[in-house]
Amino acid sequence: MNIYDLIFYLFATITVLSALAVVSTKNIIYSAYNLMLTFFGVAGLYVLLGADFLAIVQLIVYVGGILILILFGVMLTNKVNGMPIHTEVTNIIPASITIGLFAGIVLAFFMNTNWKSVTTEFPATTIQSLGKLLMNEYILIFELLGVLLLIALIGAASIARKQ
Amino acid sequence: MIPIEYYLILSAFMFIMGVIGVLTRKNAIIVFMSIELMLNSANLTFVTFSSYLGNVTGQLFVFFVMTVAAAEAAVGLAIIIALFRNKQTVSIDEINILKW
Amino acid sequence: MDITIQDYLNILPLIIIAAGILISVVIEMYAKNSEKILPWFSIVIFFSAGYYALFTVNSQSVLFSNMIVTGGTANIFFFLFCFGAAIVSLLSIDYLKKAGIYFGEYYILLQSAVLGMMLLANARDLVMIFIGLEQMSIPFYVLAGFNRKKHFSNEAALKYFLLGAFATGFIVFGMGLIYGSVGSMSIDAIMTKFGDVSTNAVFIIGVLLFIIGFSFKIAAFPFHMWVPDVYQGSPTTVTAIMSTGGKAAAFSALFIALSPFFGDVSFNIFKPFLSALAVLSMLFGSIVAIAQTDIKRMLAYSSISHAGYMLIGVTSGLASGTAGVIFYLAAYTFMNLGAFGIVSMLEGENDTNLKIDDYINLGKKNPLIAGLLSIFMFALSGLPPFAGFFGKYYVFISAIESGMTWLAIVGVISSVISVYFYLRLVVLMYFKEGNEGINPTVSNTALLGVVIAALIVILIGLFPGSIIELISTFVI
Repeated sequence: MNIYDLIFYLFATITVLSALAVVSTKNIIYSAYNLMLTFFGVAGLYVLLGADFLAIVQLIVYVGGILILILFGVMLTNKVNGMPIHTEVTNIIPASITIGLFAGIVLAFFMNTNWKSVTTEFPATTIQSLGKLLMNEYILIFELLGVLLLIALIGAASIARKQ
Repeated sequence: MIPIEYYLILSAFMFIMGVIGVLTRKNAIIVFMSIELMLNSANLTFVTFSSYLGNVTGQLFVFFVMTVAAAEAAVGLAIIIALFRNKQTVSIDEINILKW
Repeated sequence: MDITIQDYLNILPLIIIAAGILISVVIEMYAKNSEKILPWFSIVIFFSAGYYALFTVNSQSVLFSNMIVTGGTANIFFFLFCFGAAIVSLLSIDYLKKAGIYFGEYYILLQSAVLGMMLLANARDLVMIFIGLEQMSIPFYVLAGFNRKKHFSNEAALKYFLLGAFATGFIVFGMGLIYGSVGSMSIDAIMTKFGDVSTNAVFIIGVLLFIIGFSFKIAAFPFHMWVPDVYQGSPTTVTAIMSTGGKAAAFSALFIALSPFFGDVSFNIFKPFLSALAVLSMLFGSIVAIAQTDIKRMLAYSSISHAGYMLIGVTSGLASGTAGVIFYLAAYTFMNLGAFGIVSMLEGENDTNLKIDDYINLGKKNPLIAGLLSIFMFALSGLPPFAGFFGKYYVFISAIESGMTWLAIVGVISSVISVYFYLRLVVLMYFKEGNEGINPTVSNTALLGVVIAALIVILIGLFPGSIIELISTFVI
């Protein structure tokens, strides 16, 4: 077992445990902080998979952006002194049965598929090839994402404003 | 060298955790966090396959998913806050004017 | 990658709408009475884009390194979305005033939702389907909660958002598995590699997750739980575009993603799943709609059962089924828009006048509105001279051609059940003694929109043969 395998197990454990905690803790603040650990663990796995740029973006966008938004949501919708920030859990049994079936099927197929193991060498950094793809083949999507973000901005502002 | 199955099983596990969270939790914000878990697991699948196939398209798609997730987060939390202003709750069960 | 003038002309409808969004944002920022200018501006945009799309239906091309196609069925869908949205803009002018949400942003969001639908209809790559889906859904989440002072609207938005994002999770995970097994996200690559992957379990699960995600969007049975509440809680004009354009766009994306399977034996794997969805949606929608007292909820359940009829055409896996569903969607878009348009006209302030009993004696008080509503109800129930009948006819024929006669029989039974609740409304309007019921005040712009929808429904019913022929030439 070399050092990379150890790193994989470390990040995989972080991800699994914190993902479990996100959906099982009663306290919403703990859920949010565990979600941060999950994002962090996934970023570590991205590095191991050779996706350096995405690992950075994961940290900046998810941890630095989306998670902060979620925390703002928690703070704005829970009166921290006074109202409880605990939340409940419902209909566990039907959910777990359907999900157990689903999980069994997916895992069985993943295990039984014969993956042809080709070890591909990624370039030292993927930023250059990503940038070229983004500016050539995916230019239309790049432009459309700009429109999408503008619309999300207008929509969020128009629905959340006071007045 | 970690085999590809390990990454895929990990992402399937995260996906299933997310689905469990959506189906069993009552708080809208926790449901939203579970959806983020599902999107992250899909992203992990994409990056795994991208590295397995030696093809960066998958990584680019993850970049798009992240952008869209950020837009969705902004809109979703705006909706949650608008609801909280009117009703003072974000628990799905207490929102019962319309039957679930 | 050289882009010629001809290519720009081919994607002109997309450019018109996208430029329209940006210009609308500027108008909204600087004009004092933007809420008066924007509806007419968006009607002009929608009309010109829709007309141009129909005009250039024959110039087919593949652009932006196999990202999008133009011409053919994509342009037919463009026409549906743009004309539908133009009618919705006409309906909205007075409705927004009445509902107290008289803001210009409404039209910006409407335009961007239409842009998303158009991207879904002309996608040639799973990446494009994803972006189109989000470009459509995010404005819809906001529009559903646009009446932000009302609990109903807030809750509708929250439910729509959470379940829509949940469905997106399934779709993205499914795309991940498809990408992993094929090695690319382009539909063309899936087609060329189809022989190798069509028996790959990971690929099949990926497509199945993709179908599940889109079943949420088309409102098929086990994934329908958001539909009645969201349709009831959203502003009525938003429901009108959500239930027609949104559904048509989701169906077009399903066809694009499933197109490699059509005509191949491996499609048989999905047939039991798809036919179960179809049967359950038809029967559930028709039976539960009978028990409704609120007209918006009734139309919501009716839209679930219509999703079931359309799924029959998908299940057949034949070109004739695809053409039949596109015809059905064209008819459904205008008849449902008309029905919701009339509901939005009659709706009073604070969600009043939305009970079915409020429509009693409408035939005496306002014969024009009652007559128009009767046309839409006859068309929705699938009675012969109107558009809805031919939609169902083509879809059922395709089921029989593909050897699933039982599916067509269930469809006919379900249509017979649904006749009851559509015609009950007509009976209430004309054949009820007494003098109760509402006295509607009618807005002229909304009436214009509803009359246009009625004319299109009648036209489709008069010339079904030539329309299905036009559609069939583009469906391979």
